[in-house]
Amino acid sequence: MRLQAALLAAACILPAAAIFSDEVNHIDFHHALLGAPSPDSTFFLKPSSASNASLLYTLSDKSILGAVNPRDGALVWRHNISQSASPAGGAGLLRGLDGNNAVVGAAGDYISSWGAQDGKLIWDQQFDGNTVADIELLELEDATATSDTRDTLALISGKSFGSVRRFDGDSGAVKWEYIDESGDIPFQVSSSPTEVFYISLQSGILKSSKIKVTALDPITGRQTSQQVLNTEGDITGPESVLFVGANTASPLIVWTDKAHKSIKINVIGSKKISSLAIDNTSGEEIRQITVHAPHKLNSRPHFLVHYKTGSGAWAEVYHVDLKSAAVTKAYQLPYLQGQSVIATSSIDANVYFTRVTDSEVVVVSSASHGIIGRWNVDASSADYAQAAVAEVVAKGKSVAVRAVVLRDSGDWQLIRNGQIEWTRPEALIEAVAAIWVEAEEKEDLAHELEVEGHDSIHGAYIHRVKRHVRDLQHLPDWLKELPQRIVSSVLSDEVTNLDSFGVAKPVVVATRSGRVYSLDTGRQGSVMWSVQASEQAWDVKDITARPGQVIIDLSDGSYVSINASTGESFTQPPLEATNVQSIANFVVSDGSSLVRLGAVGIREDGSPVTPFNDITGFLVTTSANGRVLGWIESDNKTPVWEFVPPSGQRVIKATARPAHDPVASIGKVLGNRSVLYKYLSTNLVLVTAVNEKDHVAGFYLLDGVSGKVLHSATQAGVDPTQPISSVMSENWFAYSFFGDAIGDSSAKGYQLVISELYESSIANDRGPLDAAGNYSSLHGSGTDSLPLPHVVSQSFMIAEPISHMIVTQTRQGITTRQLLCTLPSSNSIVGIPRPVLDPRRPVDRDPTSAEAEEGLFRYAPFLDFDGKWYLTHARDVAGIKDVLSRPTLLESTSLVLAYGGDIFGTRATPSQAFDVLGKSFSKLQLVLTVVALTGGVIFLAPVARKKQVNLLWKAT
Amino acid sequence: MLALIFALLFQLAAASLTISIPPSTNLPNPHVLPATTHATLTTLPQEDRHDHILTTSLTRSSTLVFRNIPSGAPESYILEIRSAGFVFAPYRVDVAADGSILGIWETFRGNPWDNRGAEKYVVDVANKRTTNVVVEAKVLGRKGFYEERAKFSPLSLVKNPMILLAIVALVFTLGMPKLMENMDPEMRAEFEQQQRSSPISGASSAMAGGGFDLAGWMAGTTPKPSPAANAEGSGGATGRESGGSARRRA
Repeated sequence: MRLQAALLAAACILPAAAIFSDEVNHIDFHHALLGAPSPDSTFFLKPSSASNASLLYTLSDKSILGAVNPRDGALVWRHNISQSASPAGGAGLLRGLDGNNAVVGAAGDYISSWGAQDGKLIWDQQFDGNTVADIELLELEDATATSDTRDTLALISGKSFGSVRRFDGDSGAVKWEYIDESGDIPFQVSSSPTEVFYISLQSGILKSSKIKVTALDPITGRQTSQQVLNTEGDITGPESVLFVGANTASPLIVWTDKAHKSIKINVIGSKKISSLAIDNTSGEEIRQITVHAPHKLNSRPHFLVHYKTGSGAWAEVYHVDLKSAAVTKAYQLPYLQGQSVIATSSIDANVYFTRVTDSEVVVVSSASHGIIGRWNVDASSADYAQAAVAEVVAKGKSVAVRAVVLRDSGDWQLIRNGQIEWTRPEALIEAVAAIWVEAEEKEDLAHELEVEGHDSIHGAYIHRVKRHVRDLQHLPDWLKELPQRIVSSVLSDEVTNLDSFGVAKPVVVATRSGRVYSLDTGRQGSVMWSVQASEQAWDVKDITARPGQVIIDLSDGSYVSINASTGESFTQPPLEATNVQSIANFVVSDGSSLVRLGAVGIREDGSPVTPFNDITGFLVTTSANGRVLGWIESDNKTPVWEFVPPSGQRVIKATARPAHDPVASIGKVLGNRSVLYKYLSTNLVLVTAVNEKDHVAGFYLLDGVSGKVLHSATQAGVDPTQPISSVMSENWFAYSFFGDAIGDSSAKGYQLVISELYESSIANDRGPLDAAGNYSSLHGSGTDSLPLPHVVSQSFMIAEPISHMIVTQTRQGITTRQLLCTLPSSNSIVGIPRPVLDPRRPVDRDPTSAEAEEGLFRYAPFLDFDGKWYLTHARDVAGIKDVLSRPTLLESTSLVLAYGGDIFGTRATPSQAFDVLGKSFSKLQLVLTVVALTGGVIFLAPVARKKQVNLLWKAT
Repeated sequence: MLALIFALLFQLAAASLTISIPPSTNLPNPHVLPATTHATLTTLPQEDRHDHILTTSLTRSSTLVFRNIPSGAPESYILEIRSAGFVFAPYRVDVAADGSILGIWETFRGNPWDNRGAEKYVVDVANKRTTNVVVEAKVLGRKGFYEERAKFSPLSLVKNPMILLAIVALVFTLGMPKLMENMDPEMRAEFEQQQRSSPISGASSAMAGGGFDLAGWMAGTTPKPSPAANAEGSGGATGRESGGSARRRA
């Protein structure tokens, strides 16, 4: 407790750079993503029997179960259900029932039930090694059912058995289990008001199978009857059964013959197979057949079969006669060219089908072919709809419909009565690379200035005058905009429009699936354009921004060039087939900008693909066998040096200082006005190596030119399976790991270690290099060899793992740096101010007055992350793999972008926004104050004059 | 059937740990905890085993339940509960080789692992078949994510000492003549005499007239201005006054 008190006091001293609550969504944006929703596991549902509004539930292809508010597309809650399961095979399943306050999801061997309203766990079960093949919620009313949570039926598929289990809705306890050890392939479960059906595939001769339906008693789980449907010749495996109807009054099994000539339907429980000819008038081959049927028990026994050909689609609606189990065709939805998707919804017993096509949204009732709702939709894009779910609301005779459409691009779109209400770019999940776009215009000006710089004084002067005269053409426009700008600047939220200072740069994001997005960071990260740059998933190795374009390098040596403003892409095939492990970019810092010299691909064994003769520099690479190699430009065969960690250790990571890492001061001024000189070298490499067997991690600071070890630290009791992150900047480096208690006095938990490098331990001393003008990394003899740094370290216990670390970058490096840490277990990003992580904090004593003047305060072993340090504040930013930082033209402000799962972007101001007028600065208030003061002066001036006059007359 | 029996046996053998979150001053209603709240049991991995990190999500009844704590070797786990906006105390959970829980203690971050705090649960040696252990979580505090923006209010303006001074000065300048009028003539004369001799009034009158001896005034040596200065001052003043009247005349 005392520690916390001390820390609290410390936090008060430091300048807090927290976000104001009115800046949320203004300086930051967040795409909370789910992944592509799987069509079978997406539905509208009223989260509790009391609520009127429904939520949209889905289980995505990334096994993320989530609830989305259909009003604005905001995420209500989500859980990654693959986390607690072993690697999931196949798509997950999600089921929910109206009036039931739980949704049940399954992925791989893990089944879990979640509160529909709040997303809290109700129960979960794991079946080691076995997979959940199907789940259904039992809608039938038990006499014993007391709560409003329905029981779940699950079909678990093992290696040699199938098992149907009924789980209690509240506790997850198994009520009964039916085990089938006949060797059939467990396929699905279904239920009718009176029975539970277990459907399995019985292998027959010549790879064809028969469908076996076993009826079970829902109360006891005992087998009541069994039927084998003669389907040989039609069915070869689970994929050839189109549909197994769930929870309808007449559950169905639907399949077709191999030639798609007729559709075959069995009402589960009966032996009869109805065969209906498919009336294909389009003359094209049928590509896809989907069956849409209501999922509610009291719905009418109607269903729709949707036939898709290469260029169009039509649908047929069938009715089932409950008594005779006969299936009859009721009507047909016409064949239409272009896209077509169907969604089913039901109100009480009525069933509605919603069809979304190129130009319109149509709602029909299952009973008759009359169109009861039609809206025109502008869907001229080539972005085809894949699947849809809809919710129909009857308003008297007319209907209203909300349809959520999943498009080919991965966009998830809600269309309400023909209007697009929101779009969620779900394909943005799993971004693999991102970069800020370099604007083109700025480069023009830079070019002009460069011309002026290189010209003679006279020529440069004429050039400049000409340029200014040319600029005059913008004057009328500028004058026209001026009044509007003044008005808007007084009234608007942000006092100064900072877009011209580079805080609202667009960002280009490449996803694993081959899509490239451009996000407008100035407008809540809205998508400006998106293109499918690669037809299949690609292996992105590097992304670089050139003026007006973005280059994405791939592992096979090819690259894709994308126009940053339009998204036009152009793929350059590789010159020669190579397999590149990574790309090394040669960048030199020129003032506040970076100059790119070139790039070279690195093979898996760590060697450069080509010699990089035209570039002056050296290269440090890691090889697949756990070593660090140093290269010079002329030789790509043999490295100049090789760092081999102690035996048993394997290099897992090597980090260097960022390319843009300006140092504002070469020393640190102490309280007594003496200076500790920083050990500044641009050639430092921090290598992390682990020994998995002995749980040892080694951190080695190397000189990149010579490979000389400058400093090393070894940590014992390290868990190598947990994230070990490291970062380096200026004259310091930091790393984090999980450390176990290995001795009596050691602690257990996550640790963050910070080390600072100084030229000497003594103030005002520059060590051996004091008088030296130059030094060499290579020539070890004499006094001008590379000296070893004086390293000061401190270690802090932290409450959670850090998966990724980066340092905020500002234009000149004057602003205090923040250590940006990604916290995967609390789905947030925290920016730890550097003054807190000062390894010179006094240990076991209070700071002296000189130390206090320096800003040092007493060391506490536990570093509690202050809430104000969280860049993500209350947001849940999940799945972050990488964080980028970039300077802006404002020294106070650094742009931050996090991607990998969600996309999150913000502006970090580690020393507060000292060069920006914030929102607290009210121009209106300023104007009012000036007016009030003028009024006061006008009022008081005569009074004061009179008084002075009186004083002079009366004084004498 | 075999599988079921195995499953049942497994569930019997492995202990479960339930953490309940009671209402407390920092968290009056545990049901407001977000759905992302979760608990983890963490330790160093044993030889080629990957079940050294166990995670569980918050349930509807505001509990966190670990089922099937792995058995195999005695382990000492650190139990952490993480929730956006709330800070929970970490616990130490010792597990025996058979997967049953030996004891749960509070632990302190940044302290030696053996430095155990308050005991939450310890196994009853005589009656060792406690399969479900229930402990209560402790909320240490809340995290405030946002900075408060200083709000403009007239009251805060009044609280400002500078403004207060200005108001007092204003009251004096406006109120003083009224007060003087109400004084009896003798008192007033005496007061005026005093005021004239006081350094401040001398300064102000001198300032009004120009040619003010700042150094002298600061030193407080000349309560009465020197005749020369006086003459100069008055001369200046009259000159100014005459100029003023001249202007008025024009």
